Amino acid sequence: MASLSYDEAAHLLRRAGFGGTPEEIDDLSSRGREGAVDFLINFGSIDNSAMDSLLAASFDFSNPADNTKFNQNEIRRWWFTRMLATKRQFEEKMTLFWHNHFATSINKVSENNGLFMFNQNKLLRDNSLARFDDLLLKVAQDPAMLIWLDGLTNVLGKPNENFGRELQELFTMGINDVVTGEQNYTEDDVKQIARAFTGWDYQRTSPFTFRINANQHDNGTKTIYGQAGNFSGQDVITIISARPAAARHLTWKLFNFFVYPVTDADKGTIDRFAKVYLNNDHSIKELVRAIFTSDEFFSDRAFFSLVKQPVEFVVGAVRMLGGTYNPGSTVSTPVRTSTTPQTASRNMGQDVFAPPDVSGWDFNLGWVNTASMLERFNYANGYLTNRNTTVPGVFVTNDQLKGITKGSSKKTVKRFLGRLGPLSVGDALGTLRTYLETGDNGQPVTYTNDDATVDKKIRGLVHQIMSLPEFQLN
Amino acid sequence: MAINRRQFIKRTAGAVSVSLVMPRFWMSNAALGQEAAADPNRKIFLVIQLAGGNDGLNTVVPFTDSKYQSLRPTLGFKDTELKDAQGNSTILGNDPLGLNPAMSELKSLYDAGRVAILLGVGYPNPNLSHFFSMDVWGTANLTAAGVGWLGRYADQKLLGKSGLSAVSIGGTLPKTFYASKFVIPNITPAGGADPFVNYAFQTDAKFSGDKNDQINTFKSTSTRTFPADSFADAIAKDGFDAEEGAAQLRAAVQNYTPGVTYPTNNQPSATAVQFASALKMVAQIITTIPDANLFYVQLGGFDHHSQEIGTNADNFTDKTKGQHAVLLKALSLGVKTFYDDLAAHGVADNVVMMTWSEFGRRPNENASHGTDHGTGSPMFVIGNAVHGGLYGQQPALSDLDSAGNIKFKLDFRSMYATILDKWLGADSQSVLGAKFDNVGFLG
Repeated sequence: MASLSYDEAAHLLRRAGFGGTPEEIDDLSSRGREGAVDFLINFGSIDNSAMDSLLAASFDFSNPADNTKFNQNEIRRWWFTRMLATKRQFEEKMTLFWHNHFATSINKVSENNGLFMFNQNKLLRDNSLARFDDLLLKVAQDPAMLIWLDGLTNVLGKPNENFGRELQELFTMGINDVVTGEQNYTEDDVKQIARAFTGWDYQRTSPFTFRINANQHDNGTKTIYGQAGNFSGQDVITIISARPAAARHLTWKLFNFFVYPVTDADKGTIDRFAKVYLNNDHSIKELVRAIFTSDEFFSDRAFFSLVKQPVEFVVGAVRMLGGTYNPGSTVSTPVRTSTTPQTASRNMGQDVFAPPDVSGWDFNLGWVNTASMLERFNYANGYLTNRNTTVPGVFVTNDQLKGITKGSSKKTVKRFLGRLGPLSVGDALGTLRTYLETGDNGQPVTYTNDDATVDKKIRGLVHQIMSLPEFQLN
Repeated sequence: MAINRRQFIKRTAGAVSVSLVMPRFWMSNAALGQEAAADPNRKIFLVIQLAGGNDGLNTVVPFTDSKYQSLRPTLGFKDTELKDAQGNSTILGNDPLGLNPAMSELKSLYDAGRVAILLGVGYPNPNLSHFFSMDVWGTANLTAAGVGWLGRYADQKLLGKSGLSAVSIGGTLPKTFYASKFVIPNITPAGGADPFVNYAFQTDAKFSGDKNDQINTFKSTSTRTFPADSFADAIAKDGFDAEEGAAQLRAAVQNYTPGVTYPTNNQPSATAVQFASALKMVAQIITTIPDANLFYVQLGGFDHHSQEIGTNADNFTDKTKGQHAVLLKALSLGVKTFYDDLAAHGVADNVVMMTWSEFGRRPNENASHGTDHGTGSPMFVIGNAVHGGLYGQQPALSDLDSAGNIKFKLDFRSMYATILDKWLGADSQSVLGAKFDNVGFLG
């Protein structure tokens, strides 16, 4: 069994989750590479009762028709509370992966105060490591997708091609095979596949169960990828999920999300991991296990090779530093809640439950522009300068910060860089040390970790570290 | 002389002294504190993206094409229906085309000779994927490869100029503005009175005395040298530019006073207010930043696979209401308000606007009162410098391709080339990588 160094364990937790405290990283490290991955992906056996209690105390979703307690903002607060409080980090990260993969927006699917988006989110979480066919079928038959890509209006004699196209282009294979470059489907396949999904519908009363309107379903012969037959929508999903092009495209997306930006030179790697999917009955769990235990994942090339997604930036900064997110509550009176994390993430370009379109978010440099960078710097400033620990919000206390400091400025800077990465920042270490040793008028002062210095300069130091280019990377 | 920050770093070889950091950013100091002086040589270009695939056939309506009525039994406008809310005809003079009745303001600009309508704009072998086709238009490359076409223009023409010579207003930087060298900022509007308010590097309000130290530390760490073309390099540059530019921008735009009243209070729609607000931000920058040259705003939501017209109240049959009408009204009212504001500031002669959408929609409506992805569609080029009228050729609905879509009549790159050559003073061949015929709407 391969060992797992502290830096490797931190890398694994930042990618498979959002990052953690030294205690969490040490625990992963002690399990070794395979053991740590096994622990993370078998998240069902991790005790999550603390988060469950927090959710119960913070949300009242007992009646989704009550839009004062169940609405678009509340489900966003609910998801961020999960991401910030869960012990099952990979569960939430994989849900985020699927949310981006099957990108569906509440801006269109707004029915019932956002209930269908909430239900889709739960569906993605509950099936995040299932067989791909099974997950895809559930997503396709769920009201959110039937509304999002106009399945409801895809009827006999009047097919609507929206779902039939994106099913192939975005959800499974892509236009061209990732490895061979061959075209995966034709415009005629789009039309024929749209016919196979005609009549897909859901019952209009709770629990909004999937149904097929038999008299709106096209039972004629469809010719798909050169094969003729009376294919149903489920048949199409089975056929596509077994195509090597789908395995490769999914592997390609997982690599880009979890490992490193894939280039043309990686075709062999993609093909190799795609075979894990094909040889394991389309098991997502076995595919991600293979990826996270691979030498590629722990290669030098992979470390800090991705730009942090806004969600990772917002959640990670709290989890790594041991800060606090108090989500507030709609259960207690008076109602008082904090939407700080979801608002910050939205302003940085990642509004959860509302990806920009069905292709999901643009990663890496897609997150980087002058406005989004300012949002990152300013979220860091807001987090570090929030001293009001009695109202809902995101904060870190002076005591928590003081616990990370050391008596010397150099050791203190190193401790915080270790805590927030660990980051290697070259010359910036000296600059940050100088920051700690500079007074209001620019004159040198002697650093001590007394309470006044912690409240002023250590808060400023962490703001500076969170504004470093290195901290924007994952 | 303006100094490019990349050159600056090279000269100082990494030994960056905080007090010496010179931003490549922004305007000459003389321009601060006042509106930009009138200058007939200013050539400002605004791109308006209609995202999602605008239904061209219900934007510029070929009401005399007999196939139009048969392909659009519920969605199609009859000639008698081409009247705006005041009852004025939206038919374009003696031509067999009419604007959607929601576009009364654009019709008045057309009648004044300020609008060129380019008909049947598209490209060969059209791709019906939103994302691919958007990238084709964004890159002006039929394989969607490379950076944005205006990014390439910026790389050629704007390096060394103010960092605000190109600005995108919206959620994210569009592909059209992706550049290899020039960093184009995107400003996301803040809610509230000042949409620019969040555009600042904020520090701890409790210790204002620490602010300079914070900002100097940030400048120092973000002007370090990183490997060329690495993510860290791009992040450091954008982060540094954001901090430097923000302060100067916020100061400058305060010198603007609107010359007209912009839509507010969700009237005629929340979308119209949001779109007009973005245009107002453009007006603020145009009137206060002399280097302002390129702008980009987006109006989204055109992917009307269902319920393109009407509302619940009319069982989705009223063509003057509904999703498409709301968006076209937002476009028309926003453009006219912005134009009037520019005129009030004496800069209307300096601005040309262009709309684009990744494709039009299928002539034959679907059963959901909507339309599926199509191919070519009409585009608008607007401004005092524009020779108003119709260009290109309306595609005949009796001559559709095998998928039932129109055959394009005018290559979108000819539209781009005309703007590059005749307005922006660039060499379209070097920007677009090939020579495309100019269309006569400028020059």
